[in-house]
Amino acid sequence: MPHIWPIGGGKGGTGKSFFTGNIGILLARQGFKTLLIDADLGGPNLHTIVGLPNPAISLSDFLNKKVATLQETVLEMPIHNLFLISGAKNKLDIANLAHEQKTKTLRAISRLAYDYILLDLGSGTSFNTIDFFTLSNSGIFICIPEPTSIENIYRLVRSVYVRKIRQVLKIDRFRSLAEKAEAQHEDAVINHPEYLLDMLKEMDPEEGSAVEKILKAFQFKLVLNQVRRQDNPKIGALICKIVEKHLGMKIQFLGNVSFDDRVHEAVCRRESFVDKYSYSQATLDLRLVLKGITGMTDEQAIAL
Amino acid sequence: MKKLDALNFYELLEVAFDASPFEIHHAYKEMFQLYHEDSLASYSFFSRGEREEILAKLNEAYSTLMDEKKRSQYDQILIEQGVLEEEMQYQRDRKKLSLLPHSKRPSADTALRIRDRLKIMVSSNAMIQEILAHDVLSGSDLKKIRDELGVSLEEIAETVKVRMAYLRAIEEDQFEKAPSRIFLKGFVRAYAQYIGLDADIVASRYLKRINN
Repeated sequence: MPHIWPIGGGKGGTGKSFFTGNIGILLARQGFKTLLIDADLGGPNLHTIVGLPNPAISLSDFLNKKVATLQETVLEMPIHNLFLISGAKNKLDIANLAHEQKTKTLRAISRLAYDYILLDLGSGTSFNTIDFFTLSNSGIFICIPEPTSIENIYRLVRSVYVRKIRQVLKIDRFRSLAEKAEAQHEDAVINHPEYLLDMLKEMDPEEGSAVEKILKAFQFKLVLNQVRRQDNPKIGALICKIVEKHLGMKIQFLGNVSFDDRVHEAVCRRESFVDKYSYSQATLDLRLVLKGITGMTDEQAIAL
Repeated sequence: MKKLDALNFYELLEVAFDASPFEIHHAYKEMFQLYHEDSLASYSFFSRGEREEILAKLNEAYSTLMDEKKRSQYDQILIEQGVLEEEMQYQRDRKKLSLLPHSKRPSADTALRIRDRLKIMVSSNAMIQEILAHDVLSGSDLKKIRDELGVSLEEIAETVKVRMAYLRAIEEDQFEKAPSRIFLKGFVRAYAQYIGLDADIVASRYLKRINN
């Protein structure tokens, strides 16, 4: 089984593709067979981050049945061990994926034979994004220390919460649960998904604790990106504390990645940041984050 | 997960039942950082009303636990509810010295008086004398002496300005945690001096083990 890391963040511009691309390169250099998938169906640009402006084949070729298997859409990158499924040639209306196409894609992804599969997700909290995010229990949130981004992180976490309850209960029973919860708390479904769980536990203790177990199985991770010197370095840990305390979901803070003007430069030149600026603070931060996710030893991390 | 309303004041501030006022003060400050109105970390997570409710409860917890009389009344209620056992309660005498909040730390003058008092205790305590008779001293020896004297690590940290983590490392013999040997020596000296021991002797006997 590959390790699947969906990477999301709610808001656009927080550095999801930057993070995915560069962490992917670090993993590949470490000798892991690593696949990057651009799952930002409506706004793909992972291929640009990793320096492949015109991919010949992309995810849509699998969805349109031009190729039979997802494996055929995999592109080999110039970096050894690094592979990409691009979204560059997706049709413009692809963001609204039909249900069976989505299930087929999700199933195909989890069957691919790689050590690590990184999914670069789109912004927003559409069902597509959430379903890709919940494909594995180790989703990574990328957030920046700004109210707009933090707001969207909370929204995304709550969306995942509600979506999971909804998947377990199926639509009709979910609706009746939501109505009951909203009769007590006006904003239960939007702002207090934990009330839904409480209500479910009251109505059907067995199912309630089963759902609770599913929610607890998530081991989310949080990375704070673009942290400038004047920012409070503890923000990330505090966000995790809020989520754990008030939503009862596990979320681990992986660390801060420093803001670096040269990221802009690297993207403009379509060069990979971690290679060009191997000894910048941001690259060191990325290595530490990677060490945190994989549980690597210090020696392995130094060798990155 | 327990809902916020169901938490007692200790759980709310995430402190132990026998936390000193010093610890409570810091716990409160941490919590306040999380919930205050302009907190970036919890931005948009709570509605205005919810935030006010949480802050009001935090303030109530803080003012109750920081007031000796109110705290013991509150503890009584918890004891009656069976939440708290009497022996787990905060004992003022045992932690007397770290009872003061940050702003009222013992002055250099009182620190001196404390050291004199501790010196007398050291010289009259058979167990401590027995430990001090050893040629080599370990972290756990130091801890035994400190426990016997009833001095908390916090108190040492507060007065001699050495971080808790380093003091703990000294007692756990984790030499590698100190920035360097020189620093380690300095920390051990400060620690020993504070609890009324001879700093030079203790430091040299403690560091002996690293040479080997």
